[in-house]
Formats: sequence, structure tokens, C-alpha cells
Amino acid sequence: MASRVRIGLLVAIGVLYVLSIPWYREAGALPAGGAAGGWLGLPDWVGVALACYVAIAVLNSLAWALTEVSDPNGDDEDDGS
Amino acid sequence: MSFGSVGVLALCIYLVGLVVVAEFARRARVDTTPADHFLAGRGLGTFVLFLTLYATAYSGNSLLGYPGEAYRRGFSWIMATGFMMSIIVMFHVLAPKLRPLAVRHGFVTPGDWIRHRFGNEKAGKPLLIAISVLMAIALGNFLVAQLVAMGHVTSEVTGGQVPFPVGVIGLAAMILMYETLGGMRAVAWTDSAQGLLMAGGLLALLIWLVGEAGGLAAVSQAIGDVRPDAIRVPDAKEQANWASTIVLLGTASVVYPQAIQRIFAAKSGASLKRAFSLMTFMPLTTTLVVTLIGLAAIPRLAGLGEIQADTVMPRLLASWAELGPTQMLLAVLVFLGALAAIMSTADSVLLSLGSVIAVDLMGGDRDRPETTQLAKRVTAVAMVVAVGVALMPRLTLWSLIELKMELLIQAVPAFLIALHWRRLSALAALLGVAAGTLVAVGASLFIARRIGGIHVGVIGLAVNTAVVLVVTALRR
Repeated sequence: MASRVRIGLLVAIGVLYVLSIPWYREAGALPAGGAAGGWLGLPDWVGVALACYVAIAVLNSLAWALTEVSDPNGDDEDDGS
Repeated sequence: MSFGSVGVLALCIYLVGLVVVAEFARRARVDTTPADHFLAGRGLGTFVLFLTLYATAYSGNSLLGYPGEAYRRGFSWIMATGFMMSIIVMFHVLAPKLRPLAVRHGFVTPGDWIRHRFGNEKAGKPLLIAISVLMAIALGNFLVAQLVAMGHVTSEVTGGQVPFPVGVIGLAAMILMYETLGGMRAVAWTDSAQGLLMAGGLLALLIWLVGEAGGLAAVSQAIGDVRPDAIRVPDAKEQANWASTIVLLGTASVVYPQAIQRIFAAKSGASLKRAFSLMTFMPLTTTLVVTLIGLAAIPRLAGLGEIQADTVMPRLLASWAELGPTQMLLAVLVFLGALAAIMSTADSVLLSLGSVIAVDLMGGDRDRPETTQLAKRVTAVAMVVAVGVALMPRLTLWSLIELKMELLIQAVPAFLIALHWRRLSALAALLGVAAGTLVAVGASLFIARRIGGIHVGVIGLAVNTAVVLVVTALRR
């Protein structure tokens, strides 16, 4: 279960990265609402990118909490070799 | 007392502090084996591990290069917060698999993984050499960038009393001294104090800048008035570069030798994952802060040139210090924090460079104390060469970062793919590295560093991965 949630979180992080880049706006356009029209007084497209990165930080922290980084217990690990 | 004189005094106190820490680290050593020298006996707990990861990841590039780049590019540099975060995301692919193997088999250098995974194949040795050479070049490049940053900070904030060459040479000698004495322990312990100093100092500087301008909205408005291009939605090429940089930095940074060695040096797997959990927030408290500092400098310091933009941070500190004794003291603390961050990255890089050359390239036995001595001699030579290059800065700090990443990223398949795919052979990985490096270097030299906004290193990685897949399929 934890593993599935972790994978879900990592997929969501990927989606947020895609959303953080302002491909949805016309290139070269001035910010909607002026220079300070977005979140925290930033240009709107900058506010969206920053919101995505805040969300990624939270989700990634949760994903690490659900990640198992085991130390050797005597069993052979799957090391790809 | 002038700002420059206070800066010189604070610098002296700081350097004495480093000597003391180095002596404590020397006394704390258990033995003289490479594992003790390079990995602090594999005993770094969550807190020290987190702070050493933090101080190592945020360097002269972050503190001088990033504000400079924000100044040059405008708000699109918000991408830096994203790509610094992508490093901790990408560690999900590496750390959970590599850490148990490193502990079980006593890995000291990144090359130990290559030997373990490909050692019984004919192409294993050439692959080890190819990967180690890439890493050594990238580390050397990174070291030069730190030395240039040290020279800039010291010169600017001491008001020229410590000129650029003296700053570079003197601080390089100091790093060499404390690292030789205390190894990874000295590096990690100094990193801890340096990391705290850096985070506190940057926050104080941002509060002053934004507060004086009347808030973030006023800063945005002022930037829009002075440089309208800085607030516009980036064009397609810049957006492609945004995505490419996230891939380049996120992917290449996880194979930083000094980052890999911190995975080996963690006290336990639990310590490591807790450290990464904390690290994921640091781009918000550091990269975002230095980005905003660089942006806030646009209306304050108009007309700086390409190379001069890298001195945005020290120039701001100098003007902050003119406001009164309290501001001067705070500016000196920020200066020390910045210098500490730069030196902490330089020492980590130097330590890794010594281990990669001594163990992976010169074949030193990772279990013998003689290898530690060899690595110390190697680091001394490497530092002398790096100082020589740093005294002739021709590229911006950001250019230096991109250059090293474009090479380092070619090592990714031999780590990330090889960890997860049993069928990957040494020959396929070697041919992939060769093809990717040729594309990245060839395009960089003869075409451009970016094609349509995409870094040539990322294009090289795509070619590298394609070659790996094709060669593996042909050998079925």
C-alpha cells in the first residue's frame, strides 16, 4: 500500500513539473493583472510555478517518508547485476 | 571602522574557527583508512548529514551564480527553485537501491559501484575509467567555479583589501589544510555550522531588500518598470530550456560523486531518508531566496554586464552595510555565510576528486591507509591546478555549472539504469557514454551549448540511452 501511494506521489510530482512551465500562456505576453497580479505579488505565471514547487516539496517529503531505505540484514539484495 | 575592515576581521575569526574544527576532526578519527577519511567512518546521523548535504548542494554557484542569472534572465529564473528540487526527487531512483549495496560491499567511491556491477565483464575496466574521467573533469570544473566565487566574495566584501587572487589562493590553502587534517569529518562538521550561517544570512538579506522596496508586489512592479522583458511569459525557447534544465540538473546532480559518497557515509538508511525529507524544502528557503535577491537587484543595480552580474550579491551586501552598524554586522554575517557555503562545497568536491583519482583512476586499494596518503597528495596537486585556472575567469559561473553537468549527465545510465536493469552490459554502457559524450562535447564546441533551448548534454543523454538500448537488444 505504502509503495503504491509513493508511486502515486511521484507521478503527481511529474505532473506538477509539467504544470510549472508556462506553456499554457502566450509566449512573450505581459502577466495578467500586471507585474504584481499573481500570488504573493508576483507575475501570475510565476505565482503558478511557485505554487507547483511548494506542492512538489510537500509531496516529495511525503514520498521520502514512505520510501524504504534498508540497511543490509544478511540477505542478498536485487542489485541489478 | 569601515565595512572592509570589519570584513577582514570577521574573515580572520572564521578561519581560526575552521582550524579549530579541523583539529577536533583530526583527533576524532578512528584510523587512517580511506573509509574513515572519505566517509567519516560511515557515521553521519540525520542532522549532520542533512546540513552537509545542504551546504554542499548550495554553493558559490547558488549564492553568486543564481542571483546573477536571475538578474540577467528575470522572473523565468524561478525555474531554479524547480530544478534544485528535482535533484531530491531523482534521488528516489538511486538511493534506495544503492545504499544497501554500498553498506554491504563497503563502497568508498562511485567507481566501487561500477566495479561491483560490471567488474567481471571485459568492458568493465574501460567503463570504470570513462566514468571516473568524466567525474574528475566535472569535479575539477566545479572546484574552479567555487574558487572563482570565493575570490569575488572576499574581494567585494573586504572592499578590495583582500584582492581576488589573494582570496582565491589563501582560502584554497585553508581548505587544503583542514581537509587534509580532518577529512570528511572536518568537511561535515564545518558544513553544519556553515549551512546554518548561510540560511540565516540569506533570509536576513531578503527581508531587508523586500522590506525596503515596500513588499514583493512593489519589487515586481519596479522590475516591470525598469525591464519589462523580465516579467514577460518566456518564449518557447526559454520554456524548452526550463524543462531541459530540470532534466539536466535533476539527473546529473544525483551522480555527483560527493552526493553519492554522502549516501555511503550515512549512519543508517533511516538517517538518509530523513535527511532527504528535509532537503526537499531547502530550494524554497535558499534557491527561491537567492532568486528573489537577484530580481530585487534589477531596479537597484541597473546596467551590469554579463560577467559583472555574478557580483550582484556582494554589491548588495556592500550597499546594505552603508546603512548603519547593525546592517554592517548583518551584512558581514551574510558574507561569512556565503563564503562558508562556497568553501563547504569546494572542500567536498576536493575530497571526492582526491578519492576518485586515487582509487578509481590510479587503482589505490580502498582498504589501505597508503591510499589515503596518495589521495591527499592528489588533492594538493588538483588544488594548485584549479587555482591557476580560477585566476583567469572567462566564463560566467552559470556557464561553468552547465558545462560540468553536460559531461556528468553521461554517467547516468551506468548508475540509474544499471541499478534497475539486470541486462545492461558494460559494453552497452561504455558505448552509450562514448556516444553521449561525443554528442555533448562536439555540439558544445562546434554548434552551440543549447539547441532550441535544450542543453546539448540532455541531447547527448538521449543518444547515450538510445545506444544503451540498441546495443543491449542486438546482444540478446
